Amino acid sequence: QGPRGSAPVTALLSPAVTSEQIEHLHRRFKQLSQDQLTIRKENFDSIPDLEFNPIRGKIVHAFFDKRNLRQESDGLADEINFEDFLTIMSYFRPIEMNMDEEQLDRFRKEKLKFLFHMYDSDHDGKITLQEYRNVVEELLSGNPHLEKESARSIADGAMMEAASICVGQMGPDQVYEGITFEDFLKMWQGIDIETKMHVRFLNVDTIAHCY
Amino acid sequence: MEVVWAVGQVGAVWVAAVLGLIVLPSALGISLGISEAYMWVLVKTLEWATIRLQTGAKKPLPQPPRTPTANGIIERDETPMEKEIALLHRADFEFSHIFYFCRKGFEAIVEDEVTQRFSSEELLSWNLLTRTNVNFHYISLRLTVVWVIGVIVRYCFLLPLRFTLAAIGITSMIVGTTVVGQLPNSSVKNYLSEVVHLTCSRILVRALSGTIHYHNKENRPQKGGICVANHTSPIDAIILTNDGCYAMVGQVHGGLMGIIQRATVKACPHVWFERSEMKDRHLVTKRLREHVADKSKLPILIFPEGTCINNTSVMMFKKGSFEIGGTIYPVAIKYDPQFGDAFWNSSKYNIVSYLLRIMTSWAIVCNVWYLPPMVRKEDEDAVQFANRVRSAIARQGGLTELPWDGGLKRAKVKDTFKEEQQKNYSKMLVRNGSVG
Repeated sequence: QGPRGSAPVTALLSPAVTSEQIEHLHRRFKQLSQDQLTIRKENFDSIPDLEFNPIRGKIVHAFFDKRNLRQESDGLADEINFEDFLTIMSYFRPIEMNMDEEQLDRFRKEKLKFLFHMYDSDHDGKITLQEYRNVVEELLSGNPHLEKESARSIADGAMMEAASICVGQMGPDQVYEGITFEDFLKMWQGIDIETKMHVRFLNVDTIAHCY
Repeated sequence: MEVVWAVGQVGAVWVAAVLGLIVLPSALGISLGISEAYMWVLVKTLEWATIRLQTGAKKPLPQPPRTPTANGIIERDETPMEKEIALLHRADFEFSHIFYFCRKGFEAIVEDEVTQRFSSEELLSWNLLTRTNVNFHYISLRLTVVWVIGVIVRYCFLLPLRFTLAAIGITSMIVGTTVVGQLPNSSVKNYLSEVVHLTCSRILVRALSGTIHYHNKENRPQKGGICVANHTSPIDAIILTNDGCYAMVGQVHGGLMGIIQRATVKACPHVWFERSEMKDRHLVTKRLREHVADKSKLPILIFPEGTCINNTSVMMFKKGSFEIGGTIYPVAIKYDPQFGDAFWNSSKYNIVSYLLRIMTSWAIVCNVWYLPPMVRKEDEDAVQFANRVRSAIARQGGLTELPWDGGLKRAKVKDTFKEEQQKNYSKMLVRNGSVG
């Protein structure tokens, strides 16, 4: 009763994830989907731990974002199956000791792309000032002490810094359109994100299967 | 005609055996050692099965027992939020914060601490029950044969035996307490009521093939006190009343439970509340306080979690029980899941199928620790006191402590709790000087 069509996905995940861990994830999937074959956005409401997360909306959204699901079309999917679930999970796999330069680089790009999609909510390939402000507001949401103004100033400051890194000195009438993915990569150069953006599985070996 | 007579003979022998070997010793409080012999055989069989599984798998079983905190499948990075955000090079509010929350979000999606606690604990080794067969696969013919024998023994021999015992136990409880209830209030009545309660509890424990180890009996709850314990299943009450008499607290039910409640309250001052009364917290507290104030009354038994948890952790204790005053006697109950899973997953099974599962398990084995009494300190409020008691119970029973409300089994997180978290995060941001 294993996950169907898991061959291509395990290629994405292996060798970091064993078949036992996939089984665990499958059980978790069934729990979330309440034994259905697909998960919808509403199914994520049943996770108490997630309630506290200020960017909960964006995280859930990321699961249904077709760009993350490596699908050709754009927009949002209504529901995802287990294979899609694993695809999204693969963005958070930890780095392995035996990876070479090229693999590491690809890895890093994938994770940053995932993050980029989280910011770029209108899917136009650029993070505009407004989109950045939205994210900051969400992160600060629910706090009565911080006013909207503070959120805006934080966002504006950050965008300015991004602009200076990516475009250099701007003339007074130049308008910074928005952060593209290349700019995004530039901003994160030299900063180690791989160890911050992963979920590592514990080695839980139950009784082995009999071959 | 002959057949009927033969069946009658067998029936009579059966009942006589049950009465003689089980009911009578229960009444007298002695043990004939039948349970011990059964447990010894059972343990030997399970050890043999484990060895078979080991040799079949060609791999050693995970040796170290799982620490309570490692109950999950992912490694949680417990770095507090402040430290982590400081570690990232840019101290100002940047994309950095999003990493933290992204990861936390994913961890929660892969596995959350709360939902875990409402499904049965996983075993490290198969105990020959199909229901725990999730991780284990076909190994050998001999093992399967033993399993089949196990099924026959459990369903054809143990189940009818246990059912008979349970029936006897419940009937004698109802009849006994009704009879004792007719007597005028006196010390004789109290004594007889205790005898009846204890006997019926013992019969019921034998009906579940229960093996209970009581520790620190010198700390047993005294009269006029309140006994609190962690809750795993409806049989928790029977486990505790097997060793002492308590005044139960609970809601009035209909059906068989209601009959038992009505009968027992005549003999012994249990506190049964109507459903409407339960909603009025002050009324409940008042009645319990009156009960506790009377030092001649039996200690009350309360399960402050409010719902059944799967015995790997202790969830939030509702503060109501700790506002009553008086001395609290904490008790930790830990079941051994190897012999039978006592956890009642009320959203998955109803009470009848739950009892059926219990009665077709091998046995119920558990440890009960009586902890030294605790009293609320001057500068403590009810919530802090509740947490203190909870820590003591969790530590003794080897359970983890979770700050979550057991009510999360069915309901969503309270908004007040959510706001607390958000406030914490925002406070931290402002402190870091990221504003302006």
